[in-house]
Amino acid sequence: MNAQPLGQFEDWLPGGGAIDLPGADLDWLATARQRALASARALGVPTARHEAWRYTSLKGLIEQAFTPYGAAAPGARPDDLEAHLIAGLDSHRVVLVDGRFAPGLSDLGDLPAGLRIAGLGQLLSQDPDALQGRLTGVAGTGAHLFAALNTVAMRDGLVVLVEPGVRLARPIELIHLAVGTERPGVAQPRTLIALGEGAEATLVERFVGTDEARCCTNLVGEVALGRAATLGHYRVQTEGAQTFHISALHIALESQSRYRGLNVGLGAAWARTDLVARFAGEGAECDLSGLYLAGDRQLIDFHLDVDHAVPGCASRERFKGVLHGKGRAVFDGRVLVARDAQQSDAEMVNNNLLLSANAEIDTKPQLEIYADDVKCSHGTTVGQIEPETLFYLRARGIPAIEARRMLCLAFAEEILADLRPLGPLHGHVAELVGARLERVAFD
Amino acid sequence: MLTIKGLRASVAGREILTGLDLDVGPGEVHAIMGPNGSGKSTLSYVLAGRDGYEVTGGEVRFDGDDLLDLDPEERAQRGLFLAFQYPVELPGVNNTYFLKAALNAIRTARGEAALDSVSFMRLMKERLKVLHLDETLLKRDVNAGFSGGEKKRNEIFQMAMLEPRLAILDETDSGLDIDALRLVADGVNALRSPERSMIVVTHYQRLLDYIQPDHVHVLAKGRIIRSGGKELAMELEEKGYGWITGEEAA
Repeated sequence: MNAQPLGQFEDWLPGGGAIDLPGADLDWLATARQRALASARALGVPTARHEAWRYTSLKGLIEQAFTPYGAAAPGARPDDLEAHLIAGLDSHRVVLVDGRFAPGLSDLGDLPAGLRIAGLGQLLSQDPDALQGRLTGVAGTGAHLFAALNTVAMRDGLVVLVEPGVRLARPIELIHLAVGTERPGVAQPRTLIALGEGAEATLVERFVGTDEARCCTNLVGEVALGRAATLGHYRVQTEGAQTFHISALHIALESQSRYRGLNVGLGAAWARTDLVARFAGEGAECDLSGLYLAGDRQLIDFHLDVDHAVPGCASRERFKGVLHGKGRAVFDGRVLVARDAQQSDAEMVNNNLLLSANAEIDTKPQLEIYADDVKCSHGTTVGQIEPETLFYLRARGIPAIEARRMLCLAFAEEILADLRPLGPLHGHVAELVGARLERVAFD
Repeated sequence: MLTIKGLRASVAGREILTGLDLDVGPGEVHAIMGPNGSGKSTLSYVLAGRDGYEVTGGEVRFDGDDLLDLDPEERAQRGLFLAFQYPVELPGVNNTYFLKAALNAIRTARGEAALDSVSFMRLMKERLKVLHLDETLLKRDVNAGFSGGEKKRNEIFQMAMLEPRLAILDETDSGLDIDALRLVADGVNALRSPERSMIVVTHYQRLLDYIQPDHVHVLAKGRIIRSGGKELAMELEEKGYGWITGEEAA
């Protein structure tokens, strides 16, 4: 294979001092890192000629010249976190500051039996056997260059291991807090969530930061669901206006397992999320839904890749977007149904509301079906608020601007309703969406 | 309270109302009947202020003010209410939330204080009772997945909550079976008052068996060609529209 130069992203690789990475002495990890490096060199830097990056330019990301944070632990104060906490959300809380596990800000008292939560760096040095065969087991070398770079350079993150049969009463909350330093830095955290047979858990994953922080998050997440395990995974990205966000989430589903993922994209200047799900056993269900709001100087990009590799599984992909100002979004959803994957059931929907003539959505749902006995459908809409609907609200005395906001909120609520069982989180997100719509100039 | 003089209106460049005159006094119930295409719905929409209905002549005064100069929300805030022939479904918008937003927008525009949640709930429950409606209605999204009859009853419930001074019922009877029709008509009758005028727009006489109008007008080709008491409706029922319009019955 040709080894391609990675330009600006050479800096994202650990330098000659790779030896200081946690787990540097582990053969299996060293092998995985070498493979990932080879993959990164083979892939090279994506350009608009790469279908998966056609509408998502790396220009801004390259210009920022992000460099990785060093080995030193970051210095976030409790005050930095306080503003981002959700009142009333009772959780096992883990905080990563610029990609590094921050035990002092985390709240991991009263962990029930059968639940293990640890920082990745910590676990790699203390109990690497718990990770062997799991870490990189789902993601492999990754979905794209950045996932490969993460694998080469990862030094910390979160590991959640749930023993078979354990059903967690409280959600786990993972907060990615971007604080940043003087120079623009990139954090490359790694998460691994593994549920044993029949286990049940809820994970709330939030990406937060300030508008002042010039930084980049390059996350890879791995989710491994054992037979009949169930995970509810609620991801809310509200990073600051100067933040760049890349996350690749890989999900492996054993038979009868159920993954329900909801992704809210509100923040960051530029955000790219890849959701890659693979059915490994029959009778499993995967639900991917999302809501994105993009305005001026904002790009939000969701890529879905769902692989019905085995028969009898069901997947639902349901994403909705609201674009305002000069906001841009990309939705690229791909569902692959393998030749032997009979009785597959897949339904993909992407609905977009364009609130201005300058907003843009590039949407591309793709079904690739090689089996003949399947139930698959997809639908995409791009539209404005219906004049007839708007008139109905105005005819009841509601002023036009308020009526438009109500209708946008209702459009969003069809996705956010899934958060209702997590009361305070639903309230928090609905409030953020409402506050955002308050600032939208409807034209 | 409502005076229409020589009203002309076009939709997509085609003239639908061709010089319509109507006077509605306080507390009066007027029925406007007419065959399909006579301009009944156009009149309703022009009065409520829907986009795409271009007024090309005449005037409409509501309490002496130029109604046509007002935005749809301003008309509602001044006490005009249109019960839609086809109420819009609003998935994601809860009925209670919607009505509270509407009522408080109207109250605020009139310089009255917004109702707090407790007073609002009390008012809703009281009105539900008057109309014999079930409280589950409050938890549902506005008209979402409602049957035809449920939608029409929800319109009447909204009317009861917003307490208009002029209500226009646009073919409220269309698509209803006789039981649903009776329920809707009972609701309307419960809301009759000396301060509330109504314009009941309908194709068929049967609604007028349940809602007794003070005046009946026949609309044809965009203007009122005959006015009378409720006996006019009976006569129409018997003889068909052709009797007045001079055409084949519609």
